Amino acid sequence: MAKYNAMTQEWLDAWKEKIATSKEYREIAKNWEGSVSMIVNPDPEKGIPEPIYLFTDFWHGDVLEIALCDKAKAESAKFVMSGDYARWKQVAKKEVDSTKALMQGKLKLKGDLTYIVRNIKTVNKVIDLLCEIEAIWPDEA
Amino acid sequence: MANGYAGRFLHVDLTDGRCSPFTVEDDRLRKFIGGSSLGAKLFLDGYPLDADPLAPESPLMVMTGPMVGSGFPGTSRFAVCAKSPLTGIWGESACGGTFGPELKKAGYDGIVITGRAEKPVVLSILEGEAKLTDASGLWGKDVYETTDLLKEADKGAKALVIGPAGENLVRFAAIGNDKGHFVGRTGLGAVMGAKRLKAISVRGSGKMTKADETRFREIQKAAIEEIKDSALAGSLHAMGSDANMDIGMINGDVPVKNWSVGEDFDLSSALSGPTLSETYLTRAHACTHCPVACKRVVKVPDGPFQTEEGPGPEYETCATFGTMIMNRDLAGVIKANEICNRLGMDTISCGAAIAWAMELFEKGTLTVKETDGLDLAWGNMESVLALLPRIARREGFGDLLAQGSLAAARKIGGNAVDAVVHVKGLDLPMHDPRGFHGMGLAYMMSNRGACHLQHAVLATEQGMASWPQLFPMKDDYKGTTSEGKAELVFHSENYGILGNSLSICHYLTDCLKPETIRDAFNAITGFGLDFDGLMACGARDWTLKRGINNLLGVTQKDDVLPKRIMTPLKEGAGAGSVPDVEKLKREYYALRGLDERGFPREEKLRELGLDDLLERLY
Repeated sequence: MAKYNAMTQEWLDAWKEKIATSKEYREIAKNWEGSVSMIVNPDPEKGIPEPIYLFTDFWHGDVLEIALCDKAKAESAKFVMSGDYARWKQVAKKEVDSTKALMQGKLKLKGDLTYIVRNIKTVNKVIDLLCEIEAIWPDEA
Repeated sequence: MANGYAGRFLHVDLTDGRCSPFTVEDDRLRKFIGGSSLGAKLFLDGYPLDADPLAPESPLMVMTGPMVGSGFPGTSRFAVCAKSPLTGIWGESACGGTFGPELKKAGYDGIVITGRAEKPVVLSILEGEAKLTDASGLWGKDVYETTDLLKEADKGAKALVIGPAGENLVRFAAIGNDKGHFVGRTGLGAVMGAKRLKAISVRGSGKMTKADETRFREIQKAAIEEIKDSALAGSLHAMGSDANMDIGMINGDVPVKNWSVGEDFDLSSALSGPTLSETYLTRAHACTHCPVACKRVVKVPDGPFQTEEGPGPEYETCATFGTMIMNRDLAGVIKANEICNRLGMDTISCGAAIAWAMELFEKGTLTVKETDGLDLAWGNMESVLALLPRIARREGFGDLLAQGSLAAARKIGGNAVDAVVHVKGLDLPMHDPRGFHGMGLAYMMSNRGACHLQHAVLATEQGMASWPQLFPMKDDYKGTTSEGKAELVFHSENYGILGNSLSICHYLTDCLKPETIRDAFNAITGFGLDFDGLMACGARDWTLKRGINNLLGVTQKDDVLPKRIMTPLKEGAGAGSVPDVEKLKREYYALRGLDERGFPREEKLRELGLDDLLERLY
């Protein structure tokens, strides 16, 4: 299996492909509407000198967009999640459950939490698919 | 008098009608702090342990802690303690609401009630003055009616009230505080009923002293900021405790069909916190001094389960009267919750008893002949709602269930006991140990029987809170393993118990940094306890109550999980998994300093300063 450099567009494209081709995701996410952005706080020691902004957009089982973006676009998403690089890496490597990270304050969420809980299976599935991608992380390169 | 305390307690002897204030020395307060910890100490020191829980000489204790009434978030709590008429061992139940702070303002840290009144009475405490008044006119009325009548007489009073279930000594009778808050578990409403004490009404205007008011204000402000920043607090405000329903079903936490099915997402979706918010929620409600407001106020406007606007169900009730009995109608849960509240019954044990009966009905062990004509098919809410008043009034089949599911099963005999899911006679709360092995150990070792609130295991094992500054913790615990769980449970108990002795809400304990709670406690009391000192108080509490239970006959043989829980599920996140009971028990016993009988070792008792307990045990 190919390895991708995490936090790059090629890595995000692989994730988008995974989601787009998952029948299970399409079924689970049939009610999901809206965009989610992820903000990775800078951590120069780990090879993240500037914040990284990722934008994802989903609609009724379709994945519309997954891309690197600028701050303004990230902040325009329906849900904005932010956290330190190390936390995001733990989530993407399935070392920490994203809901737990959220509850413990290790990740922050702006947006309607009730909607997230209602659609928690969709959230979990999207992250599970990300975890399936083999990645080389900036601090491991 | 130590800072943070009102400085006196009240003893009420209902037999002779005497109300006598008494004090507790500062060194005992420093050691046991308050709440159920201090209650256990008073019980051990002053009362006959072998008396029947419903006998006049058995005490009923209503206890607050030094943080209660301080204005710090989550400190509205109080604990009610007694020997449990449901389990026959140590019983306690904590409650939020309004009563605790008001009792402090009325001049008392706690009340110890003994004796039995000749006729029903109300205990009124007004600005420190206690008196007993005739309650014959209130006897038979439900919790809501009685509360309204007490408030008609004294608008500002805060009330603790039993309903018909408590009067009729239903073994899982609850005590209501101002309608929306309940002392639910271990049947303490029956102890109140046995004493013919219909209600306690308090009002006061006293102010507590704090060791360092300025420092306290700073910490209080910081605590409010922490709560604003907490996703858990946000979740509780938006969805109440029922936020757990959706996530819990995915994680293998939610029991289905009397613990026999591993998952049912249609059920959880129909009964979840978001569904409640989108359908019947009219507003959120808060206990005194709480910025979170996790309580639900609901209304079912029409249909067979129509209810007026009033207190809504917690997660536990949505499970007992929902997933456990295969009821998919949230309005039905709301109606059952309202009826249980009015009658004064614990929705966990009551729902569990009904789920047990439904299983036996399906198997043919029970038929309409035994159930007085009620069709107890899974999910039949019409029958459930008809059954609830019969339980409270102990009529026919209702009388059998009123004794609790274990006693009822023993009467029926045969395999009926296998369908009862309990530890030490207390029905399991709605968190499945097959999905979370640590919770299984916590159930086995909790001092009031299967319990999710005498510790912080729910928060730590399920990842809602992480406190590496208190004890070594992983970033994420896998639920379906017993590895590392004994240590997690041991530490999570020692910290979680503090919620009960300091009398601070568990949810707030989960939302706030331990440093903030420690610093607020010290600013109030001036005790200057560090984390080690606080955790030692937790360990002392656990061991004291364990010793009381040992004196009441509990041994290692009682530290078990029920057969149903040791039977793997076929589906869901907990499928194929059961806790490794022997490993968990062995490791936990070593950490707690228990011997092979399940008794605290002499050196452990000395280490914790429980020499008087040592004398009783050895």
